[in-house]
Amino acid sequence: MILLENVSKSFKNGVHALRDVNLYIEEGEFVYIIGPTGSGKSTLIKLLDGELIPSSGRVVVAGTDVGKLRHSKVPLYRRNIGVVFQDFRLLPELTVFENIAFALQVIGLDKVTIRRRVREILELVSLEDKAKSFPRELSGGQQQRATIGRAIANSPRVLIADEPTGNLDPEKSQEIMELLEKINQEENTTILMVTHDSNLVDMNKKRTIALEEGYIVADIQKGGYIHHD
Amino acid sequence: MIQFFKSIPFHMRSAVKSLVRHLVMTLSAASAVMVTLVLLAAFLMIAGNVSGFTNHIEDDIRIHAVLGEDIVSEEQLQTAKAEIEAIEGVKEAELSSKENELKLWIAEKGEIFSIYEGENNPLHNAFFVSVNDPDNIAAISEDIISLDIVDDAMYGGNSISQLISMLNTVRSGIIIFVGLLGFLAIFLISNTIKMGIYARTNEISIMRNVGATNSFIKTPFMIEGMIIGLLGSVLPCIGAYFGYSYLYKAMGGQLFSNVFAFQPINPFVFEIIGILVITGMLVGILGSFLSTTKYLHWKR
Repeated sequence: MILLENVSKSFKNGVHALRDVNLYIEEGEFVYIIGPTGSGKSTLIKLLDGELIPSSGRVVVAGTDVGKLRHSKVPLYRRNIGVVFQDFRLLPELTVFENIAFALQVIGLDKVTIRRRVREILELVSLEDKAKSFPRELSGGQQQRATIGRAIANSPRVLIADEPTGNLDPEKSQEIMELLEKINQEENTTILMVTHDSNLVDMNKKRTIALEEGYIVADIQKGGYIHHD
Repeated sequence: MIQFFKSIPFHMRSAVKSLVRHLVMTLSAASAVMVTLVLLAAFLMIAGNVSGFTNHIEDDIRIHAVLGEDIVSEEQLQTAKAEIEAIEGVKEAELSSKENELKLWIAEKGEIFSIYEGENNPLHNAFFVSVNDPDNIAAISEDIISLDIVDDAMYGGNSISQLISMLNTVRSGIIIFVGLLGFLAIFLISNTIKMGIYARTNEISIMRNVGATNSFIKTPFMIEGMIIGLLGSVLPCIGAYFGYSYLYKAMGGQLFSNVFAFQPINPFVFEIIGILVITGMLVGILGSFLSTTKYLHWKR
């Protein structure tokens, strides 16, 4: 599903964000990406969703060579990928229902389909009773569930979660974890989760990829957080 | 395409919302369009009428070439015609016989000259020579005089050709001015749209994230620009209609004489209004196209 071949990315200011990264992630996998700030995690995400072009090497997602996409084709490619952010990024003047529907409106689905799909999603993320609430009326965990709902609304094949639990307390974090696992299983979505949260990684053991200074320093199938001295 | 039409209500809503939110910028951009269009309207009216005038006047610009006394036979007249028409820049030479010359003379100077009719006619045969380009009329007239068969050649005077070239200068001056103002209007519109874009960066980044195409993101801004252009064209259109009608009636449909007849109100003003509305919309669309394209291509 995701293939990185000898991928390097350096910026004009001389920063080498990624160096010769090789990575293969199967369809339906659930993978953690861990590493300290500045280790290249954000760059990796931006390469995957087409925002950046690798300086060398190939990034292939769902059969598309992402680095070779034309500017106008990037949006179509992006419909394969859902992204969840630490800071939610819900539209404050829209209700939860409208926020999720928004993701479907902008790709031009018709009203009936949108309504049906949004109901499904609300059920999946357990926000049926909050459909008419505005983001400010929700708790952090609920907001993050709404964001996840929006990210998976158009059934992307890959879901990238950039520190989805960064702003949440441990209890709510576990709730989000369970939701992501459910999506992973029920929709067979490949999930990449970038995180700092060592407890979470230790509690829910999955394949863990550790980045440091742009290198992959560990790729552990059985999982667990790698602690530094 | 069907998808595009289905999403029009969505685009319209976000366009109107954004316009209201940036009311001051909207109004300033719309007034820039307005000023441009007022001048464009003035230009179109002047240009439309001037070209009408010039057509009238150009018909009147002919060289009157009076032949020598001895050129009387049909054969000689044919040769003279050929000789004159051979001069570069001459469009046509039209014969005006002695008798015709006298008639014109009588018409101009008075009935008293009718005593010369018949055998006593002292006038010579002549040609009315029309030219391709009125600017060269002086030179052509010289050439005609230098022919042996021609006694004298006169034309309607310098004043008319000067008038034409003056009108042409005015016309190109206004074109340049309108062009510059158009740029200003486009610039102001693209700035207004930029405000709208910055106010909605969050929304746009989410749209990009969930895979909205560039054209989908651009459409509401283009509509916004179009509405600004339309708003700006309302007053100029009204002004053009009433202004021209008023002038037309006040001047009795002509300037000084019927050589300078104004274009009739009915098709002319409505053509101008059509041009104004279309120009306003195009300027608006172009302005917002520039700023959205710049913004969207800045990122992937």
